[in-house]
Amino acid sequence: MFVLLAVSAIVFYLCRGFPSGIAPWTPYIHSKMTEEQIQEVIKTHGFDRPLWEQYFYWLRDILNGDWGLTGAWAQGKPANEVFFHHFPYTVELAVFGTILTIIIGIPLGIISAIKNNKLPDHVSRVIALAGYSTPSYWFGFVLQLIFFYYFSVWGLPYLPSSGASDLGSANLTGIPILDGLLTGNFAYSWDEFCHLILPSFSLSFISLGFLARIVRASMLEVLRQDYITMARSKGLKERVVIYRHALKNALIPAVTLTGIFFANLLGGAMITEYVFSWPGVGQQALRAVFQGDSNFLLVYSLVFAVIIVLANLVVDVLYAFLDPRIKY
Amino acid sequence: MQTQTVKTRKGEWEARLADIKYTLYLMKKNPLVMTGTIIALFFIILAFLANFIVDPKLAYPEGYPNNMYPFERKYMWNANHFINWGPGIALYNGPEFFYLGTDGWGRDLLKMIILAIPVDLYNAAIIVIGAVIFGTLLGAIAGYIGGIFDELILRITDVFFAFPGLVLALVFAAMFGRTLDTLRLAVMLVWWPPYVRLMRGQVLSEKQKPYVEALKALGASGPRILLRHVIPNAIYPILVQATMDFGGAILTFSALMFLGFSPSPALPELGNLCADGYGHIFDAPWVILFPGLTMLIISLAFNLVGDGLRDVLDPRLRR
Amino acid sequence: MNSEKNTEKTILEIRNLKVNFHTYRGEVKALNGVDLKLYRGEVLALVGESGCGKSVTVQTVIGLLPENASVVDGEIIFLGENLLEKSKEEMRSLRANELAIVFQDPMTYLNPVLTIGTQLEEVFALHKNMVKEAALMEKTGKNFKFTEFIGKKNSGSMLVDAKVSRNEIKRAIKKLCVDILKLVKLPDPERILKQYPFELSGGMRQRAMIAMALARRPSIFIADEITTALDVTIQAQILYLLKELKDKISASILIITHDLSVAAEISDRIAVMYGGNVVEVASTRNLFRKPLHPYTQMLLKAIPIITKPKERLESIPGTVPEMINPPTGCRFHPRCKYAMEICTQKRPKLKEVEKGHEVACHLY
Repeated sequence: MFVLLAVSAIVFYLCRGFPSGIAPWTPYIHSKMTEEQIQEVIKTHGFDRPLWEQYFYWLRDILNGDWGLTGAWAQGKPANEVFFHHFPYTVELAVFGTILTIIIGIPLGIISAIKNNKLPDHVSRVIALAGYSTPSYWFGFVLQLIFFYYFSVWGLPYLPSSGASDLGSANLTGIPILDGLLTGNFAYSWDEFCHLILPSFSLSFISLGFLARIVRASMLEVLRQDYITMARSKGLKERVVIYRHALKNALIPAVTLTGIFFANLLGGAMITEYVFSWPGVGQQALRAVFQGDSNFLLVYSLVFAVIIVLANLVVDVLYAFLDPRIKY
Repeated sequence: MQTQTVKTRKGEWEARLADIKYTLYLMKKNPLVMTGTIIALFFIILAFLANFIVDPKLAYPEGYPNNMYPFERKYMWNANHFINWGPGIALYNGPEFFYLGTDGWGRDLLKMIILAIPVDLYNAAIIVIGAVIFGTLLGAIAGYIGGIFDELILRITDVFFAFPGLVLALVFAAMFGRTLDTLRLAVMLVWWPPYVRLMRGQVLSEKQKPYVEALKALGASGPRILLRHVIPNAIYPILVQATMDFGGAILTFSALMFLGFSPSPALPELGNLCADGYGHIFDAPWVILFPGLTMLIISLAFNLVGDGLRDVLDPRLRR
Repeated sequence: MNSEKNTEKTILEIRNLKVNFHTYRGEVKALNGVDLKLYRGEVLALVGESGCGKSVTVQTVIGLLPENASVVDGEIIFLGENLLEKSKEEMRSLRANELAIVFQDPMTYLNPVLTIGTQLEEVFALHKNMVKEAALMEKTGKNFKFTEFIGKKNSGSMLVDAKVSRNEIKRAIKKLCVDILKLVKLPDPERILKQYPFELSGGMRQRAMIAMALARRPSIFIADEITTALDVTIQAQILYLLKELKDKISASILIITHDLSVAAEISDRIAVMYGGNVVEVASTRNLFRKPLHPYTQMLLKAIPIITKPKERLESIPGTVPEMINPPTGCRFHPRCKYAMEICTQKRPKLKEVEKGHEVACHLY
């Protein structure tokens, strides 16, 4: 609870308190208003009051469900509406990104650990670290360049590079792929999926390095344990030793890490969304920063803080579930 | 890893020296680490020499900000270059040869990259050092003194952890303006929480060790114990993390630049150069490609070193 | 050594085994030419201080040396074949069927996230013939006990074609598990199978490990310091269990311990190790009655005897030798009060001084 309040307070202060180029009331006005009208708007929303008063007003407002308006120059939609409209896209990206990370990252880590200090280890470590070291925006571009541009130049089937989908569909859950599947509109789902490939891959490339490292470290740790020697002494096949005995122990920290990682992704990978013009919350947050749109940023920060706190809880529970030694 | 006895001054240094020699020996055995170190050293040296190799004034062509280079030089690639980018690019047939093409101001990209390296490395160094010092001090205090300080510092750190990484830095930068200093501060803000946790954990486990009690029994004061004994023993994981974070700091810093926060659009900085090429990825791909590639290599080098160091310093793997 | 004559009697013979470990500080010459013979059906205790190479010897026998170790010389003859020449796969098969080992610390040697049942079942799963036969007996309503299978190694080959369903196999395995847990005197076996290692006490875990070793119906059963991590009372229980099992299972038992009293309790013969060599081998009675090697003599003197409270406790002067630069010749000579010139130059070999009593010392 304290965390949430603190987060919101800090963001609030930063957005509204500091002298900056952009006035905090920009979402409420548009260019055609006269000076008087602007003053009126300022008065109604209380922007001329002292800062801490503004904060209390804001708190009261959100508890009443009024998140304030967002959007520049009187596009004026309620901030939470905008947020939740874009959120499903981010969810999609997060889910796929995480899946890809897991699929590639975990085997990479396992190989690294099993063939420690031999060639496969070195190769996979370089790959993992390379992923970790690439600038996220750069990689996105490279992917776009190769798979979109050059493929079309070379006459290969290419992947779309931006946007979410070119087709439209009914809006059930808001998650495009699911919507398509649920309404039987498979073309839509497929199109969405194609659009999803590049950005998810870009996201996952950066994080799978981290996951592979963790998996490798914990596998190495586990393989040194006595019970592995015991398993080998039973005459079990090496493969069984690794998969049944070692892995179960080694994956526990990896799982918790993935959970937190997923939560982070839900915050929207801003840069990736920007590069791929993916309509997720990250993109909106970026816009909000540039426009000094404090309302949106507040919504964004709060939701994100909630997600992180929740994720930590879930991860803790998961930990207890996986490791029979921990009881609640 | 080190014996937990109270060491005399001289014995202390001898022990550390032997330890360092062993570390270096282990490092040499690992080809990845050696490669990383070589590359990293290469770039560091390059950073120092950069301003002598290339004339820094080239970054700001005559008459800047009204660029005075002829129009034909923008986003150009030499026609007789060995890399062919395919259709849609503008070819240059003039007298100069640009190894990596030209950028949006008509500057030689290779020279700009060389100029950008010291900028990035320098800023990253400041960021990391600042974050490390601040974070480790806080973490050490939290761990050692415990009690209410501990709680307080932990809570604050949690708050910062709950922030979606870049947003905080962005908001900070947006509010405080676009000078290099604010940008550095902004990134530091995002980077210090991990160090607090790391250091705190280390200090907590060191605190349990018998030599701390022995020191207290001898009458050493709190800060003295902390500074001269606990911190040096606990500092190795911090070093590892700092080395790896160096690469990360470069990435974050340039990401801020890329999103448009640089103090001046022509500043030679790797992220900035990438931003320049953003609108032209398909007809001038080199403008993004090469600065990004450079960043990748630098970051990779430092990460290799840090990663290898982590393996080497793992107390269970030694001996 | 007349190995031909003793082939039927000797089930395992180690000749001149030399093993080195490569470390940063140098080569650790852990085993310096170990000679050992294990006879069929006997209990042999391998006794020595920590670091004298007992565990390394058995690790070499079962083929699970750590990566930085290498066998420099020697042979290990088991059933007529040299184990050191076998491939990894062959050794694995041997470990599954013939060589069983129980380790010292049951807490760290059992996988904490798997149930006892799982860890026991997987041992049985490697013995497909036995399981199949058990399943068939179950199917035809015949009651069986695990003990019936001991000693019947190849009987199942005729049953390869017989069809048994997976369920039946599962049930057969389960029954075998319950049986074997009863054999090691664990109460309430069905419940234990479902439990995790941390839910059991130390003694119970050790029994479970013994069960896992027995399940393989091994020819050689190795116990590596299995009582060291237990309380004295539990120690006694485990030893008693081993004594009982000794008659039921037709295996040769090799016990490793640093505690002479444990060795005295249960073994037929005792081999004393020091600094990477076997220095004396004798039957238990003879070793205690007439120790020949100076080291053995001093070991025995160091044991306090309750019936003679007034004698001073003698300890052995000096410390265990450092293995990177071990003493030349006989490794005990720096601490030996009978040391002679030749002791610093030549390492003494095991010689039979009396019937069944061998010593490695220049005194004889």
